[in-house]
Amino acid sequence: MPTTTASAVCTTVGNNILLRLTSGERDVKLKALRELKNQIIGNRTKKLSFLKLGAVPAVAGILSDAVSAVDVADNDENDRIVKDIIVQSAAVLGSFACGFEAGVRAVLDAGADILIQRGCLVEEMPLLKSYMEVVDAGARSLKMIYQSKMAPKYDFLQEENMEFLLSLLNNESENVSGLGASIISHSCKTSLEQKLLFDAGVLKRLTSLLGGSLIQRDASLESIATIFKNNPEVVSQFVGPDTGRTLSCIIEIVKDRFARTRLLASLCLIVIRNASPCYLQDVGIKTKLINNLLELLDDPGRVGDEASFAFSSLIAEKEDMQKLAFEVNGVDKLYNHLQKGSLHPRRFEGILLALADMCSKLECCRSRCLSLQVLKLVVDALAHDSSDVRSAACMCLRSVSRSIKFIQNLSAGSFMNETIVIPLVRLLDDTSTAVQVAALGAISNIVVDFTTRRSTFIRLGGVKLLVQLSKSMDSTIRLNALRALRNLIFLAEDKCKEEIFMELTASLLASLICDPEPSVQEQALALVRNLVDGRINSVEYIFAEDGIILDAVGRQLRIASKAEIEIQGMYVLGNVATGKESHKEAVMDQLLLRAENKAQSCIIKFLQSNDSRLRTAAVWAVLNLTCSSSPGSSGRLVKLHDAGIVSHVKNMVNDPCLDVKLRVKTALEQFNSFDDSLASTSCLQFLTVRAVGELSHVVDPSSKIPCDSISNSCYVYVTDFCVIYSHVANSINSQCL
Amino acid sequence: MSKKVITREEWEKKLNDVKIRKEDMNKLVMNFLVTEGYVDAAEKFRMESGTEPDIDLATITDRMAVKKAVQCGNVEDAIEKVNDLNPEILDTNPQLFFHLQQQRLIELIRNGKVEEALEFAQEELAPRGEENQSFLEELERTVALLAFEDVSNCPVGDLLDISQRLKTASEVNAAILTSQSHEKDPKLPSLLKMLLWAQNQLDEKAAYPRINDLATATLEDPAI
Repeated sequence: MPTTTASAVCTTVGNNILLRLTSGERDVKLKALRELKNQIIGNRTKKLSFLKLGAVPAVAGILSDAVSAVDVADNDENDRIVKDIIVQSAAVLGSFACGFEAGVRAVLDAGADILIQRGCLVEEMPLLKSYMEVVDAGARSLKMIYQSKMAPKYDFLQEENMEFLLSLLNNESENVSGLGASIISHSCKTSLEQKLLFDAGVLKRLTSLLGGSLIQRDASLESIATIFKNNPEVVSQFVGPDTGRTLSCIIEIVKDRFARTRLLASLCLIVIRNASPCYLQDVGIKTKLINNLLELLDDPGRVGDEASFAFSSLIAEKEDMQKLAFEVNGVDKLYNHLQKGSLHPRRFEGILLALADMCSKLECCRSRCLSLQVLKLVVDALAHDSSDVRSAACMCLRSVSRSIKFIQNLSAGSFMNETIVIPLVRLLDDTSTAVQVAALGAISNIVVDFTTRRSTFIRLGGVKLLVQLSKSMDSTIRLNALRALRNLIFLAEDKCKEEIFMELTASLLASLICDPEPSVQEQALALVRNLVDGRINSVEYIFAEDGIILDAVGRQLRIASKAEIEIQGMYVLGNVATGKESHKEAVMDQLLLRAENKAQSCIIKFLQSNDSRLRTAAVWAVLNLTCSSSPGSSGRLVKLHDAGIVSHVKNMVNDPCLDVKLRVKTALEQFNSFDDSLASTSCLQFLTVRAVGELSHVVDPSSKIPCDSISNSCYVYVTDFCVIYSHVANSINSQCL
Repeated sequence: MSKKVITREEWEKKLNDVKIRKEDMNKLVMNFLVTEGYVDAAEKFRMESGTEPDIDLATITDRMAVKKAVQCGNVEDAIEKVNDLNPEILDTNPQLFFHLQQQRLIELIRNGKVEEALEFAQEELAPRGEENQSFLEELERTVALLAFEDVSNCPVGDLLDISQRLKTASEVNAAILTSQSHEKDPKLPSLLKMLLWAQNQLDEKAAYPRINDLATATLEDPAI
């Protein structure tokens, strides 16, 4: 079948219609308009070809003429034709704008939206009888335009616009009030606009529309949700005798017979819930919402696709909701849908994200996922065509991998090791930035490996990729790549550290420490902290290339203002201070170097910080610099004293934070010990002066890692430090005596 | 397990004790007439019983014209009427639009207009298949009609049945009703389904006079 014939026919017909559109005779014009309308409705291909033939400006022109002709119409017959022309041309323009981006653009370019508004919806329609048809046609078309992403921004701030909007909402016609609601749903974005609309009293009308027809109800629910979204102030003003009524009305609608309405009602309630902690907090409503959304997943169409996203917004970051959802078998239900196979990408993405949210905080959810073998499906999704699905799969993995069960299984070298790592590493090279970032998130957790075996990842060239990504132009990628490296290097074996350092290089690390983005600086410092943690020779890394890393650390400490950066920096110095004499002296140099315009060492500022973590880190450094077993400690103590640092530490003897207090106690004892000869136990030095490296986003603090699955005393570092420390502190005391 | 036996006398007495309002029944009848599209009957019923229909009878007329056009095979006419009634319907219902186009093709083939049918298939239906993969299978079946000499006896011959027209007509009817915020199904069938279900449930516990023929609704004595 030759394709040229078909398009040739089309063009002939098309040209014929367009020719007749330009006719002087109204009858001919009208007929052509109707034909055009019937050609394009539902037919995207035809819309495109007519678009190319310039149909839109032509029709807009006809509409404009007809609207002007309204005033001059002098008899019934002309009335009717002019009215019909307006209706048909509005319908044509509306159809071009229906779900067809190029069409919307053409319609907007032709100024048709303004034409339609002026021509069809303005109150004065002097000579046209039965003008409801015109109003409806105009309202429908404008609604199509406003549903598009490219819709013109409706300026709510202009008073006349607000009045027009209110007149639309108050109109009896379903199409017209629907247009008003549609404008709100699609144009209201800022909190100022939300407040304006709220103050103008639209909520009253929207509430009454809730009792109207299906179309009015749905449109109203969307608008109400839009007005309240992320706006606690507006929600808090939502008090008075009307509130209870509106809320209970919406709660009723959650049980509506139509799935889409149920979804919209649920979304509305979720928006209100998320914006304000006072509403909708009882268990009854929470359970109702959860059950409703889980049930809506059964809907085969778009409603089912969107239900999982609504579910995520309901439970995200809320442990109580996740728990409730778990209790009604949420994980199993989501898994059942996942199993169905050949899912629409949007649905697939939604379910994966819902699982990711379910498993973000609760071990019971993660554990259930693992028992159900969810991972297999998730890993398959890592190779999906849609980047959104790939991204969602990574996020799901990231949540599930926080599980202890997961870490144990990985360490035990089960098949999960390779099947997960390989596709993840591949995603580091993904075309989509979002996927790369999501993959980095998952990798950050997966490279945590307490049996010091990260072999698979490294063997696959993962380190090279991570280092490459840490040089990315995109700061989010740099940040996440560093986070993954930080976890990879945590408690790593010497050989592993060496490989990583060779790839990273000192100069890259130094430049990352001075990165323009503060969050990147923080991760870089945390990485260095983990790098120099461990055996004494690890400390050497920081002195590579003439000590540029150490210099960078010192520099950042002097100029930084963000606590997180200062904490990591201090821990770096603290760890370096556990090394040889020369290492300790280098730390002293950095600490005593003053920033410009500063009278004192930065460490004094840290010791006085409101943040107890920072105070802790600072005291650690002092502790390590003055530990009794080192020959140069007394000299250092003098210098610290002269810099006023020692007196500051002494003032902290009653620090409110236990961590700080205990360390200050040790420090003071160390200061005093320079007169005694305390046999230093190597154990003391080893255990107490080592500030540990850190894991990022990995283990759930509520879960305990059993000692026997981890080798050597690494475990000790991760759990409650104070417990171990107090044992050691006691042993110091006894020796003192 | 011995079942309780309820005699006809007892049963009829129980039934008599249940009160049903006339207005409710009238509403059900009106709902049925309106949803199915029996305009004249609805109008007469309204006059005689005073029951108000829940939608404007004028809109029923329009809807019935569309349904009738499809049932007679005048699909192009039906499309024009739908677009006059509400241009959004076919623009937002790709599946319905596809089925209408498909019906048009079927009618062309039925009337032996092979050339026109080929052109139509290529110009109108092929793009639908391109725009939406899920239509491809149905498209293939329909186009297969063109391959057979004796269309009425071929594997896809069922497409030429009147039932196919009725199916499409029903789909259009439902879409129009939905766009008018009306339920697309009348209430009466649901009630009858409920009746049958309730009887099945009761069968496990008792023997009683059953309604076996819904059309006559006569009580048949329990088998003892």
